[in-house]
Amino acid sequence: MIPRAVSAAALGLDGAVPAGDRIAVGGIGIGSRGTYVLGCFLGEPDVRFIAVCDIKAARRTAVKDMTDKRYGNKDCAMYRDFRDLLAREDIDAVLIATGPNWHATASAYAAKAGKDVYCEKPCTKNIAQSLALAEVFRRTGRVYQAGTQRRNLPHFAFACELARTGKLGKLLAVHAQPAGLATAMSGWAEAQPLPDKEVVDWDMYLGPAAWRPFNQRHLDGFNFEKGGGLVGGGVLEWGSHCVDLCQWAANADNTAPVEYNPPVNGRVIARYADGVKLVIRDDGWLPLGSCPVRFEGEAGWVEAGDNGKLVLSSPELLAGRKVAEIGGYPATFHVRDFLNCVKSRRQPLTNAEAACYSHIACHAANIAIFLNRKLAYDPAKNEFIGDEQANRLRSEAMREPWRI
Amino acid sequence: MRGGNDKDREMHKLGCVTLLLTLWAAAPAQAAEENEGRLIAILRSDAPRAEKAITCKRLVLYGTKEAVPALAALLPDAELTSWARIALEAIPGPEADAALREAAGKVAGLPLVGIVNSIGVRRDAAAVDTLAGLLANDDVEVASAAAAALGAIGGAPAAAVLTRALAGAPVAVRPAVGEGCVLCAERLLAAGMRDAAVKLYDAVRNSADMPKQRLVDATRGAILARQAAGVPLLAAQLAAADKALFALGLTVAREMPGADVTKALAAALERATPERQALLLMALADRDDPSTLPAILQAAASGSKPVKLAAMGVLGRVGSAACLPLLLDAAAQADADVAQAAKAALEDLSGKDVDAELAARLDAAGGPMRAVLIELAGKRRIAAAVPALIKAADDAEAGVRAAALTALGAAIGPADLAFLIGRATAPRHAEDGEPAERALLAACIRMPDGEACAAQLADALWDLPVSTKSTVLKRRRESAGNWVWVPVSPRSTLLEVLGAMGGAKALATMVEAAKDDDAELQDTAIRMLGQWLTTDAAPALLDLTRTASSPQNQARALQGYLRLARDFPQPEPQRAEMCAAALRAAKRPEERKLALDAMAKHPSIAMLRALVEAAKTPELKDEAGAAALAMAQKIGGDSADVPALLAQLGRAPMKIEILKAEYGAGATVKDVTATLARYAGGFPLILLPSPNYNTSFGGDPVPGVVKQLKIAYRIDGKQGEVTLRENAPVLLPVPE
Repeated sequence: MIPRAVSAAALGLDGAVPAGDRIAVGGIGIGSRGTYVLGCFLGEPDVRFIAVCDIKAARRTAVKDMTDKRYGNKDCAMYRDFRDLLAREDIDAVLIATGPNWHATASAYAAKAGKDVYCEKPCTKNIAQSLALAEVFRRTGRVYQAGTQRRNLPHFAFACELARTGKLGKLLAVHAQPAGLATAMSGWAEAQPLPDKEVVDWDMYLGPAAWRPFNQRHLDGFNFEKGGGLVGGGVLEWGSHCVDLCQWAANADNTAPVEYNPPVNGRVIARYADGVKLVIRDDGWLPLGSCPVRFEGEAGWVEAGDNGKLVLSSPELLAGRKVAEIGGYPATFHVRDFLNCVKSRRQPLTNAEAACYSHIACHAANIAIFLNRKLAYDPAKNEFIGDEQANRLRSEAMREPWRI
Repeated sequence: MRGGNDKDREMHKLGCVTLLLTLWAAAPAQAAEENEGRLIAILRSDAPRAEKAITCKRLVLYGTKEAVPALAALLPDAELTSWARIALEAIPGPEADAALREAAGKVAGLPLVGIVNSIGVRRDAAAVDTLAGLLANDDVEVASAAAAALGAIGGAPAAAVLTRALAGAPVAVRPAVGEGCVLCAERLLAAGMRDAAVKLYDAVRNSADMPKQRLVDATRGAILARQAAGVPLLAAQLAAADKALFALGLTVAREMPGADVTKALAAALERATPERQALLLMALADRDDPSTLPAILQAAASGSKPVKLAAMGVLGRVGSAACLPLLLDAAAQADADVAQAAKAALEDLSGKDVDAELAARLDAAGGPMRAVLIELAGKRRIAAAVPALIKAADDAEAGVRAAALTALGAAIGPADLAFLIGRATAPRHAEDGEPAERALLAACIRMPDGEACAAQLADALWDLPVSTKSTVLKRRRESAGNWVWVPVSPRSTLLEVLGAMGGAKALATMVEAAKDDDAELQDTAIRMLGQWLTTDAAPALLDLTRTASSPQNQARALQGYLRLARDFPQPEPQRAEMCAAALRAAKRPEERKLALDAMAKHPSIAMLRALVEAAKTPELKDEAGAAALAMAQKIGGDSADVPALLAQLGRAPMKIEILKAEYGAGATVKDVTATLARYAGGFPLILLPSPNYNTSFGGDPVPGVVKQLKIAYRIDGKQGEVTLRENAPVLLPVPE
């Protein structure tokens, strides 16, 4: 069933929301993407954004100005160290939109501090972090929503529903776009003069990443330590969205493919235990915009992308609905889903468990690309079978004092 | 850098490490034969710190117990300790454990925190005593890390240490001890030591100075570990005044099986405030337990507004036909929130008896209830309601007619399709035209036999007269993505529906319409063909590039054809053939550019062959020839056909001389002059036997490092020089 938002009125949102019923939200690492998501939060009547943390003074100030202007006050507090923000007992939930280096670690600290978390993707740097993330949120009972908002976009949800409920017949293959297969990571660039801590807190920026001297390229580079570990980037870029949708479509929210092949002709083909193929590829997509997915069954197929449209093997699959009525942005649905769950204590669509296995699938594919060999994976034990090098790549030590 | 000072050399190496690391990440397979001894030697040398850091990373893959001492030596180093632990955490075996334990006794401050964290990650049971000692460390960070590590290790000895620390640890360390206890209890539970786990959870719950979230963690564990015996503790949370504990109760109620949990929720519902009742109802419904229905129905009937709304929100999932009177009554109420919640529940209720009762009620209903039932008949696609909906489509009220038409679009079957065709092409009231068209489209695209439906539409289309009387201007999207205002007559309306449906009959009708005498029909058909979603429309579009009635329509057909060639998945030879045909059909320079752009997007031998063929025609010689050269560069030496194809371009061969060519990195280079000279032909593009330089040049001169190819050459007597990144196409810039 396509997710239906719980009525705002059912959660007490009709009319003005009493101050005591509002969800107090803080933001950690709010840059360009974070500002977009923050806009979605600020548009919700039951949200009060009261604090921002960033290692860059300019960003802290920009977010404070934005929220103060919206609320007509000067109340948004600023922090350089997110632990100080998390220590505030009046904050219910946090939006984490730092670089990927921090996502899992900051999420775990927030959960342990009793906060619910909406965190941007990619959510983890390696397989071990993925498992730890799920474990921490299970243990603390906190609500987690990964910023993979496409699960809450109706046309993608509809496509997944077709696959999940057998309307495409026996599922044969799910296809995801990675936006590039090449694995790459940040290194150690030459030292430059260290900025004032209050302007740019380099030590906090490095966080769980291994130490290296300050260099502007690392600070401003695209997604410092994305994926982290020895195997960075690669499938994680769009995969955290598209593979995530494939996992949902394949009813695999609590498992991952059991086999990963190295790239052949630009395609990584993985396989689930039930034989369904996960095809990770950049080519051959219908012109449906970015982040496309395709699901193929014995009785039909569906393809969807960011332009909000679906293409189906048969219009019959629409069951009378028009594509234009199904699809589209904005990502507000995803934020609303999170906020509803903060109140109801239900698990959101991209909860920590679902995000854990979506990311494991991406990390395992990256490791197969990196080692350039076929890998077998046991999702019950969460280990590669008979490949010690692959198993060594499942985790990476975090810089002191950080731990999950 | 030769001759520079030490600092220069250091900076140069540092600069290289970022690149080196990135490239090593991209191509580790080439470094598979990494020599552990060489890596250990780097760690022990006076190599730059950057190089040592990257060496630690490499040892993750290639390190054994032999590397442990060299790595352990870096543990006290504030800058390299985290890099060393990256390898030490990964290398299996007791040697790494021992090294970490030993370092824990010698190092202090942040490096010690990292070491303790690594011990926890490795779950070194032999470290319990060491960690127990560190619990008393003056450094709160160290003591806290030790508590967490003990929890991660688990087992009875760790549990005993942590239990003692709950009371004895300094207040600042107490939260970490609580975390360690909960972690340890989880390990005990997983090992089947349920009683010990419960004891540890309870110890945290009863401990002083514990942060709220630790109490929540421990309470959750204490409930779940007790299994059925944990229900009273769950009930206590559901009744707790504390917001966090009540929230925990809602969470755990969804995790725990058993009828007693349902009963605890129902009991809490009776005593809760209205705000909490709404949340409890949701938790109750999430249990998918039929026994919860009476409580939910009662809440929907008599609760406060938030409670009613919450109850209705769950009735759709757990309710039955028995809920119909209450929900229908609510759906017809003036309160928009209540009505909306009731309608949503009615839409979701399962059971054919629900459909039958709704259809029966529609026959007799009036006023607001009739509107509700019409909407529901559509939402639930109730076939039995179609006669009543057809009747309602002739109602005196325009709103009722529109709602009935919309519902018919969702519910109507093939037998009654003619009704909607009639209303869409000849509405009895002008305002019914729009909803009837939308309904017809909705109906047609879901008909099980699409081809039969398309045939019925086509017959109706050709039966309609050409008339401009009922033509109206409507905003439509062109294949290029732009919006335009176009005239839409009833015939065009049916053609648009056919276009949305797709399929063989729809395509055949579209082609026929594109050649009809009716200019408006032609225009609509070409627009729809330009947006076709399968490549079987390609032959028709190509034909229309010649036969369409106007140059403008011919150009639109070409754009649509190129869209299919460029954007749709298909075998590369077929794509190349389509692009070549488009190039031949292009009449204007901008059309040729579009075709060449499409070809450039899909480099392949087939496409190169198509370009070379195109370059043989005088008017395309320059453009297609240049595109062919560019494509050959992209394809490189993948195919032996490339040189032969390029030779057909008819360009005057150049005299290429390779003066010197070196392949390698830094000071280690290999002379490959003879190899390059052998493959140099009459073009500045040299196609090697393999795109992989190592293969073409007979081996890898510097394994594990990305290399460069430096070439000094002469073209037609003029000297040039180029440096290429490993495996790049060998293209020699023509000297001025």
